[in-house]
Amino acid sequence: MSFDASTNLLGLAFVTGVTTGGLSCLAVQAGLLATSVARQAETDVTAQLAIRHVVAQRKKRSNRRLTKEQRRRERAALATLAQPEKPKRRNAATPIALFLGAKLVAYTVLGIFLGWIGSVLQLSPYSRAALQIGIGIFMLGTAARLFNLHPIFRYFVIEPPRFLTRFIRRYAKNNATTVATPLFLGTLTIFIPCGVTQAMMVLAVGTGSPLLGAAIMFAFILGTTPVFFGLAYVATRLGEVLHTRFLQLAGAVVLILGLVSIEGGLNLMGSPYSFSNLLNAASVSLAEASGGSPEVAAQPDANGAITIQVYNTGYFPDLIKAPSGKPVSLTVVSNGTTGCTRGFVIPSIGYQRTLPETGQTTINIPASAANGNLRYTCSMGMYSGYFEFT
Amino acid sequence: MAKQVFSVKGMHCSACVMTLEGLEDELAGIRSLKVSLHKERAEIDYDDKKISEDEIRRAFEGKGYGLARA
Repeated sequence: MSFDASTNLLGLAFVTGVTTGGLSCLAVQAGLLATSVARQAETDVTAQLAIRHVVAQRKKRSNRRLTKEQRRRERAALATLAQPEKPKRRNAATPIALFLGAKLVAYTVLGIFLGWIGSVLQLSPYSRAALQIGIGIFMLGTAARLFNLHPIFRYFVIEPPRFLTRFIRRYAKNNATTVATPLFLGTLTIFIPCGVTQAMMVLAVGTGSPLLGAAIMFAFILGTTPVFFGLAYVATRLGEVLHTRFLQLAGAVVLILGLVSIEGGLNLMGSPYSFSNLLNAASVSLAEASGGSPEVAAQPDANGAITIQVYNTGYFPDLIKAPSGKPVSLTVVSNGTTGCTRGFVIPSIGYQRTLPETGQTTINIPASAANGNLRYTCSMGMYSGYFEFT
Repeated sequence: MAKQVFSVKGMHCSACVMTLEGLEDELAGIRSLKVSLHKERAEIDYDDKKISEDEIRRAFEGKGYGLARA
């Protein structure tokens, strides 16, 4: 590849990161970031509360009838307790910066592998769905832990290996906790790439060069960083204002993100039991019961051909009624589409492809698959639609 | 020498574990200190001639955690 072409490619990756990658990936990876920041805030808040509690206890005791000497000892003990152990006020940006720095390094290393081993690392829709549901369950457990619902939820903690914590503790004593957790979680984001990131990964594979693959991933993730940092930083400052309520707030955010992740995983599997599919089914049943037309349902033409439009906000139509047992030729049209809807998946026939920003892609759905409900979705399960074969 | 298992109150995350295990380096007389977040326990191996149980408890309190015999 020429120098100019390489430069253009890197520029494209960076601009894609700045314009769409940040927001798109934030929807998927914000859970890990929120967990990371929450854990940091949790450490600070609980340490402060615990110290206040102990100080209050000591003061209570010191109000009892004591001799002069006993009172002097209590005061001395109080002073040594309250001052040196008070946690230092840390910069709220530190864990976020560490998280994003680790993410940048991890994706750059991933880029080296992608450039080297090609498409071997690509996951099937079902594997990714399972991963996403697993992440969602972890987030729900984390939320329950933050709410302190039951001791069993203490198991929903990603703990760095003991030898690593010991090493970090001994060589970077004072800031071990600020370093290890966000770094570890930032690295984990390589396992939950969003649709746009996957497109960049495919681009990195296509270069066939470890160096260029790494450069593309580096440029893209660097581009997403300002959006991530801005949103996460605002969220953290808000948490400081809310102070003691922050743990509950963080728990609520993680809870919602966990539900979103599970919802995406279920959609990606083509499950009818995702929240959006259950809602769709309910609205169709309601409309049918009241005698109205449920929603605009498209139908294939006489040749079995049908076209759907791909927008940044979803697919249109998202309901297609077709005769069962007959093959369908589905044309997917994107026109300046840059969102994660470009990652198009039909789970039950094992179809997945990153659509062009502008262009048409035709998919043949065989007669054997034309029965019941056949769902199509974006690669993260955020947007979906379905065929109803009757 | 004494080896004792204690219950620890006030831990919320792995950062708490790291903070408490750091006492192993800070307190003279502690041979080993293993903390389990999941069990809310600390297994402490210490030289009772150099440090007392009460001093260890106060060190835990100083970090913002409660310590009692399990």
